[in-house]
Amino acid sequence: MSELSSLQKEHATTITDAGKVDSVLRELRKIVGESNCTASKHIRYAYSYDLSFVKPKLPDYVVMTETVEQVQELLRFANKEKIPIVPYTAGTNIGGLTIPERGGILLDLKKMNNIVAIDPESHVAVIEPGVSHAKLADALYKHKLRFGWPVGPPSASVLACAVSHGIGGLSAKYGLNSQEITSMEVVLPTGELIRVGSCAIRHDAWHSCLPLPQLDGLFKGWLGSSGVVTKIGISVHPIPPLLKVFTVSTENVADMYSYMLNLSNYEMCDDLTAVSWWLTQVPIPYPFKAKPDDSPEWFCFATTTSWTEKEREAKTEIWETVFEEEQKKGTSIKQTVYPEEALRGRTQLPSQVVGSTKNYCKQGGAGISWPGTFTPAKVWGPVYNKWKDILVAHNLSPAVRMTMYRGVHYGMFRAMIPFNKQSAEETENARHAIVECLKVDLDAGGIPYKPPVDFANEINKRADPGYLDLLRRMKKFLDPNDIMNPGKLGI
Amino acid sequence: MEWKIAELKELEDKIWRCTACGTCKVAYDYGPPPTFGEICPAGAEFGFEGFMASKGKIAFARGILSGELPWDEEFLEAIYKCTVCAGCQNQCELDHKPYIPEIIEAMRRRAVADGVGPMPLHKNLLQSMKNYNNPYQGPRRVRTDWTRPFKKAGKPIKDLNKEAAPVFFFVGCTGAFNTAARAVPTATASIFQKLGMDFGILGENEICCGSTAMRVGDSEEFKRVATKNLETFKWLHDERGVKTIISSCAGCYRAIKKDYSLSSEYDKVMEGIEVIHTADYLNRLYKEGKLKFEGELHWKVTYHDPCHTGRHLNKFIIDEEGKQLWKGAYVDVDQSECLYEQPRDLLKAIPGVELVEMKRNRANSFCCGGGGGVMTGFGEWAAKNASLRIQEGADVGAERIVSICPFCHFNLNEGAKRIGSQVKVHDLTELIDQVLVGKSDNQT
Repeated sequence: MSELSSLQKEHATTITDAGKVDSVLRELRKIVGESNCTASKHIRYAYSYDLSFVKPKLPDYVVMTETVEQVQELLRFANKEKIPIVPYTAGTNIGGLTIPERGGILLDLKKMNNIVAIDPESHVAVIEPGVSHAKLADALYKHKLRFGWPVGPPSASVLACAVSHGIGGLSAKYGLNSQEITSMEVVLPTGELIRVGSCAIRHDAWHSCLPLPQLDGLFKGWLGSSGVVTKIGISVHPIPPLLKVFTVSTENVADMYSYMLNLSNYEMCDDLTAVSWWLTQVPIPYPFKAKPDDSPEWFCFATTTSWTEKEREAKTEIWETVFEEEQKKGTSIKQTVYPEEALRGRTQLPSQVVGSTKNYCKQGGAGISWPGTFTPAKVWGPVYNKWKDILVAHNLSPAVRMTMYRGVHYGMFRAMIPFNKQSAEETENARHAIVECLKVDLDAGGIPYKPPVDFANEINKRADPGYLDLLRRMKKFLDPNDIMNPGKLGI
Repeated sequence: MEWKIAELKELEDKIWRCTACGTCKVAYDYGPPPTFGEICPAGAEFGFEGFMASKGKIAFARGILSGELPWDEEFLEAIYKCTVCAGCQNQCELDHKPYIPEIIEAMRRRAVADGVGPMPLHKNLLQSMKNYNNPYQGPRRVRTDWTRPFKKAGKPIKDLNKEAAPVFFFVGCTGAFNTAARAVPTATASIFQKLGMDFGILGENEICCGSTAMRVGDSEEFKRVATKNLETFKWLHDERGVKTIISSCAGCYRAIKKDYSLSSEYDKVMEGIEVIHTADYLNRLYKEGKLKFEGELHWKVTYHDPCHTGRHLNKFIIDEEGKQLWKGAYVDVDQSECLYEQPRDLLKAIPGVELVEMKRNRANSFCCGGGGGVMTGFGEWAAKNASLRIQEGADVGAERIVSICPFCHFNLNEGAKRIGSQVKVHDLTELIDQVLVGKSDNQT
């Protein structure tokens, strides 16, 4: 037996009373059965880390629930005993969101994986937390329907992505995946089962959160700290048969922003995304490598879908107008032939190739983190230039993506940073650079999404006191004993 | 003879190329139409992330290497609760993809080296190999029991210990000792006789291929039998004129084709010898117009791809020198040696047979649950998993499930019994034997 590692020592401090451990496990077994809960080290270990720079930490127990009633019973028990609960679906986020800050029970929801309903007439689906993008894509396609599939593993959870304000490939058209949520069923930290949206009024009506007060906001963007969402209704959309992707390049971010803003005004794209040269590289250069002088710095793909040839022609005409206008402005815009494989990666979602994070496995360590933000589009340019300085100074590549959300006012702005997780020094270097980038973005009006605790702290430093006070009060109201994913909000 | 069998530590760089993205956890294909299915038998059964696909196993490997996961009974069991089916490997796109089954087996080798592995029931199996040269605790004499009907019918099978023949039928232990699976060698030999092939067996002198020992982490026992077999193959080639080794067992076939290639002498020993699975061999004859079928089998069948004749035969293209992508990059997979179409082509050729596909097929076939030592170590779970596969066949309307592996054959049968399914399980050779026209009209 080896000496206790730092991880083990950390864990040892979370359990001080061996008798308590046994009694907790006994209770958990009563709730979910012996095969669905454990305190075994090797099982807990597999939940102690993710792709990100967040330091590994062990939960004390892992529990898998199969029914809503079990979730309720578990939360009642945890609330009574004041044991932290960390909801988990697939663990595919890159913000350490399911790495327990204070031990406790990791609640793995993968067995709750039913597609409860698909209403092809109303374009609504009702799903449980364990439903993966792969499973939903398979089921929806039978009705020729689609959803905003993200650039992530097909095994990732649709529900977790949506309630965490994740984005998908239809974000230019429909906005964030959280904006597609039409109703919710939630177990509160105290064990009560509640519903918000239309399903609260009639149990089988999952079509809309409006016009009721938007109480769904109490569970979206809270990082699993306000309850366990056990079902959501989502809008799903018909699949138009014709796909056309317009691709351009520019020499600088300002020119790219100008083009994206112009094209966004027509609101005709499913997805409007630009990536810096470094993000087009497989792998993303690590450490930093200078871009060749003869290569443009930015590439953009505007994905459009149409029902008829005429519609596609009309969209092409609009795009050509935009392109000509940008040329007339004297920008560096050029039409670009995007590599076929790269285009497939952007349009054939969910994708194993994209989801498999090939970009990040070159070096042993295979770590991935990001400053991932929602940032006003008009500051993308200046923020990118500052990020570039910070990242290059840390010997990291400015592998940045900008995606325009529905409308023109803001979008996703993020950098994907590979690093070697085997090296504490390199991990810290990446963390430091990312947090520095984040501060720049926050100061420019951006806000990080799916934030690790480091980010949450930076958000809160800048937050209006009234906002923070309300946040604390709401948290206290919903979760009086602070059992739900404690520590993640940094409050 | 030197063997290149990696220790866990040697695979550390590969282990750290896993990002933990979890793409490996479900079978998925974009299509269109997109298809989804559970792919990890252990993940489907036990659920916790550690059991789940490559992502979970890599976590275990990292914990072992870092010393954070010391051995205990439960952890050891978790290492062995994996069918090493490579279903997860088929989903992954990262640089450690080509090494995933090897990483899992290297953990087991580490457990054996540390004196804690394998599982108690595996130890019985390995002791049997040492005592009897087979994992079934069967006396050598029993190895030829399946040949009795041939002797009785006045059609004895040639004994290569005494006579020469160009074809060596490597029967395998499961077909020889497992009563329920004896239909496999019996049908195979019957087909060969009908085709007038000049073939022989080693009878009591055949020894285990070593696949099971390798799968459960006992590389020393594997090396012992594999070395002996390679020596025998050379002797058969030099002294008995053997040019072709045919196996009806997916496990033996995989071991001889792939595991034996880890020997420094493999290319030299196997020069002039082709190793081929019966299904591939028969399909070749069929394509040449040398199989003639008579009568009809009005059966609605589905085909179960054994892992060992499917994705385990993938050849991975790796950029070892960093000329194409980067050093050690996984570039692509070559599936040309996987036996996906050959058995299907034969099934479709049998008059009357209607072939329907299960949702999970070919590279995304769902393991029967018997591989990786699971059938021996955790028989109940193996049968339970097989019942899922049986049900999948029933769900597409199949009356019979056909495969080309005696291990799958046995386990799928157990699965059918477990749920009282009416779906019957057959080896492909059984179907062919029923409709194949005899020697008088055929020359191979």
